Order: sequence, then structure tokens, then C-alpha cells
Amino acid sequence: MDPVTAMYVAQGIHGLAYGMILFLLASGLTLIFGMMGILNLAHAAFFMLSAYFCYQVLVMTESFWLALLIAPVATGLIGVVLERFLLRRVHALGHIGELILTVGVSLVILEGVKVFWGTESLPVKVPPYLEGLISIAGLEYPIYRIFIIGLSFFVLGILALVLYKTRLGMVVRAAVSDADMVNSLGINVPLVFMFVFGLGTWLAGVAGVAIAPILTVFPGLGDQVGLDAFMVVVVGGFGSLGGAFLVSIIFGLLSSYGVQFVSQLAPVLMFIFMAIVLVIKPMGLFGERE
Amino acid sequence: MRRTIKMVLGTVLIAIIAFYPRFFGIYYTNVFVTFAIFALYAVTLNLLLGYTGLLSFGHAMFFGTGAYGTALALEHIGGCPLLVALLIGFLSAVALALILSPIMVRVSGTAFAMLHLAFGQLMFVLALKLRGITGGEDGIGGFPIPPLNIPGIVSIDMANPLNFYYFAIVVLGLSLWILWFFTKTPFGSIMISVRDNANRVDYMGFKVPHAKAVIYTFAGAFAGVAGSIYALFQNLISAEDGFHVFVSFAPIMMTMVGGIGSFFGPVMGSAIFGIIEELTSRYTERVELVMGLILILVIMYAPMGFLGLINLFKAKYFGSLPQKAEMEEAS
Repeated sequence: MDPVTAMYVAQGIHGLAYGMILFLLASGLTLIFGMMGILNLAHAAFFMLSAYFCYQVLVMTESFWLALLIAPVATGLIGVVLERFLLRRVHALGHIGELILTVGVSLVILEGVKVFWGTESLPVKVPPYLEGLISIAGLEYPIYRIFIIGLSFFVLGILALVLYKTRLGMVVRAAVSDADMVNSLGINVPLVFMFVFGLGTWLAGVAGVAIAPILTVFPGLGDQVGLDAFMVVVVGGFGSLGGAFLVSIIFGLLSSYGVQFVSQLAPVLMFIFMAIVLVIKPMGLFGERE
Repeated sequence: MRRTIKMVLGTVLIAIIAFYPRFFGIYYTNVFVTFAIFALYAVTLNLLLGYTGLLSFGHAMFFGTGAYGTALALEHIGGCPLLVALLIGFLSAVALALILSPIMVRVSGTAFAMLHLAFGQLMFVLALKLRGITGGEDGIGGFPIPPLNIPGIVSIDMANPLNFYYFAIVVLGLSLWILWFFTKTPFGSIMISVRDNANRVDYMGFKVPHAKAVIYTFAGAFAGVAGSIYALFQNLISAEDGFHVFVSFAPIMMTMVGGIGSFFGPVMGSAIFGIIEELTSRYTERVELVMGLILILVIMYAPMGFLGLINLFKAKYFGSLPQKAEMEEAS
């Protein structure tokens, strides 16, 4: 295998893995921000918090799988509490109220994390069989990146099944499109919203655990990827999971190939892409409403 | 009668500001300059948010552009006078606003906010990456601060913090006054009508996009002035201080904490933020934790901000109803 192709493939895998983590995060945000219309700037903070939970569970039990199970659920529960006791009350104030509240919450989470775990970056080890490289058809792939891609597809497949093929998913979709009508049909809409918000933060939690072994765990973990996820939701179109998927992959590939070819301008590429899309279509690629 | 009271209050205010450094010393003078810079910055944001109903997540780009404009002018133009450097900061923010306005006036609501987030981040990344011009993470620092020269009359040394205080306060106060005057003109009323019902403004024969563009340029330009003074004050401007997304969020929070929809709400918010930071940093290193808790408490229990609380208090104990415009939400 000649080294040029190998490099292209390696960068492609890196881009795909980043894109899939971005999509895990962005799909949660699509549920919360895109479908429910709640501007949640604490999403990236939950992502970071889950990585810390993952570290903590690993320290206590030394099982990565247990961490993958527990950390996102714990994060999701905190999300449920946030929605039930804080966000619900400021919803009437519109986006500005949600902005202030969630910025406040993310500051509290950020500082709380520093109080409990300190500011240095903490390593997270994956099980030995997820480390190293695997060679398929003469090309070498990092196993953990492949695992992330597989995990994301698995999680999002289940999400799509639940959302589009079950009665629960039908209720959720109906509730976000016309809350009043669904409420008057005798369905407890606030409960549904609480569930959806919890689901969204759970997805952020899964993404946080997935990225922890790659980047290690530190307080600024969510800064970059959190903003990227917001842009994904906006560019992909509000409430469109397909759009979020496409744009996540594009962003992932843009960032990995961008670093290779135009390393100076790589971080700018996504913003240029976003600006072009929004100037042409203010509601995003697949968005139906603003 | 009211006029006399206002005159007296105004005189007292000016006297307090004039003698402030004598009473509080140099440290608190600098705290006051920071407060005044962010007060102007927050007022320009409120021009968009409270008056016109446009939520921007990227207002920092004007702040940062003004700051970098001034810093670059002083760094590269030998013997550049102070006021010219200030003017360059102002004009670079105007230029940015003029470049962006054709795009921005077409959108509103979430798209407006998000487009600003995108362009704001674009500016942030550019400031980080174009090291040759902006100095990357380190920013531009240590540029010469020229004395304020008025030919044939006076030359005031700006290295003296006391002199700089008066210079900054005069520039910021003048900017605030211009903006205040701007909101009182007939055009200022169009601004509020665009917020309340853009369609009707259109029917009445006013051109909504043009009006928005003018407001946008005003808001951007004076945010540039605030940034320019900030760069002069710190003698340093970095991407983190000028363009970071939290620099965009800060004035939104100040506006909300102070009280949205009134001209002096953001000024109040800036003061409250300054006081909180000053007090908490004395007792704990976790300033941001306290900040976060306060934001949560404000939005939960006093969503109309500090001025809203005062109005509520007035209504309860003095019987005068708060004005409708002040109670209305601007979203």
C-alpha cells in the first residue's frame, strides 16, 4: 500500500470519527434546540461533565464498559433535573432567558468540575483490545476510532428507531411540533419534554465518554466541539437529524483534511461553510422553519 | 421642577465622576474605567437587543475589531496621534458593520444570532491564526500610547492613569450621550417599531432593511469605540480578550441583569457585574461559580433585571405603574 493512500485513509478515519462524535453531540442538541426550541448552551458542559464521570467510574471500578453505561445516564439525570426545576420556568422568556440560565449552569458545572477534579488533564484508558491498530485489506486502522464510529451508528440507529418507529417516538415528534394540541389530547407534554431533554443530555454524555480516551479529560474539553455542534444544528437545519448527520460528517472531514492541506486556515473552513449556507438558506440545509 | 432636579442630579453625577479618582485612589479608578468601557459596550448591544429586538451572539467582533484597529495603528504608524488611532478603531468597526450589514439585515431571530456566532468565531480564529498581523494568542501589546495632542493648546501625557481616566471617561461619556440622543430622535422610534412590528413599519413607507443597517452600523461603530478604549487602557489586545465568544455573551448578560429595554439598564448591569467581580474575587477564586449562580438566580427570580426590580418596588410602594415599554420583553 503506498503511503499517500494510507495517509488519505487515516485522515478520513480521523475525520469520520470526529464527525460521528460531533453528530452524537449535535443529535442531542437537535432534539433540544432544533426540535424543542430550547437554547441550551450548557450542552457542551454536560459533554465535559460526562467525561469526568467516565474518569471517576473508571477509577472506582476499572471497567470502561461500566463507565460507558453509567456516565451518560448520570449526565442525563442531571439534565432532567435542570429541565424540570430551572429551564421550564424560564421558557416563557424566550431564547435570552435560556441563554442566561444555561450559561449560568455551564459556568457552575465548569467551576464545580475544577473544585472536584482540579484543572490538570486526566487520562482515561480503554480496554487493551480497543487499543492499537487493525489491518484490513492492507490498510491500518486505529481500532478505537472504528469503535467510535460503530458505537455512534449503534446509538443513533436506536435513537432513529425509537423516534420514527415507536408510539413513544410518535408522541415526542407530535409534542415538539404542536405542544398545545398534544397536551389537549391527554398526553403529559411537560413529562415528554423532560424525557426528550434527558435523552439529549444522555447523547451528549455518550459523546463525552467516547472522546475521553482520545483527548484525555480536562475542563476545556467541550469548548471547541460544543460550538461545532451548535453550528452543525444550525447549518443542518433545525430539528433535522439527517441534516445534522450530513453536516457533522462534512465538518469532521473538513477539519481533518483541512489540517492536512491548509493547516493555517483549517479552523476557518467550517465557519466559511456555515456562512455560505446561512446566507443562501437562512433556515439551514434541511430546515423547514427558522 | 423636574428639569431643575435633573440638572442638579446631572451636576452631582459629573462632580462625582470628576472627583472620583481623588476619593478612591488609582486601583478603583481603573476598576471604574473597565466598568465604563463595558457599560458603553453593553449599551451598543442593547441598541440591537432591547431596542430593535435583534439578538446577536457575535457582538465581540466589533469590540475586537475596534481594539485591533487602534492597536495596529499605534503599532505600525509611527507618531500616530491618539485621536487618529481612536478614529481608526472606530472606522474599522464601521467598515466591518458595513461589510456585514447587507447579509445581516435580511435575517432575524435565531438565524441572526447564529450568523453572528459564526462570523464572531471566524474573527476569533482569524485573530488566532494570522500571527503575522495579530500576534496570535499573545495579541498585540506594548504599543506606544501617544499623548493627547491638541496642536497649539495642550499636550496631555496618557501614561498617567489619572489623565487616561479623564480621557476615557470623556470619550465613553460622549459616545453614550450620542447613543442616547440617537434613541430619542424620530429614527430611534423607528428602531422600536421595527422590533414591535416590522411589517407595519414597511407599510408606512419606511425601509426596514435600511433602518436596520443604520442601527447595526451605529451599534457596531460604538462597540468599536469601547474596544478601542479597552486596547488603549490595557495597552494589550489578544484574541481571547477581543473576540472570544464570552466577550459576546458578557454584554447580553449585563443587559439582562441590569434590565432590558431601558437605555441605562446595561450601564447598571455593567456596574453590578463589576461590583460582584470585585467583591467575590476578594473572598474566593471561584468568581465564575458565583457569577453562574447569580445568573441563574437573576433569570429565575428577577427576569426583568435590576431596573425591573426597581420598577416593581416603585409600583408596589409608590403606586405609579411601571411604563409598559419597560416591562415588555424584547425577544
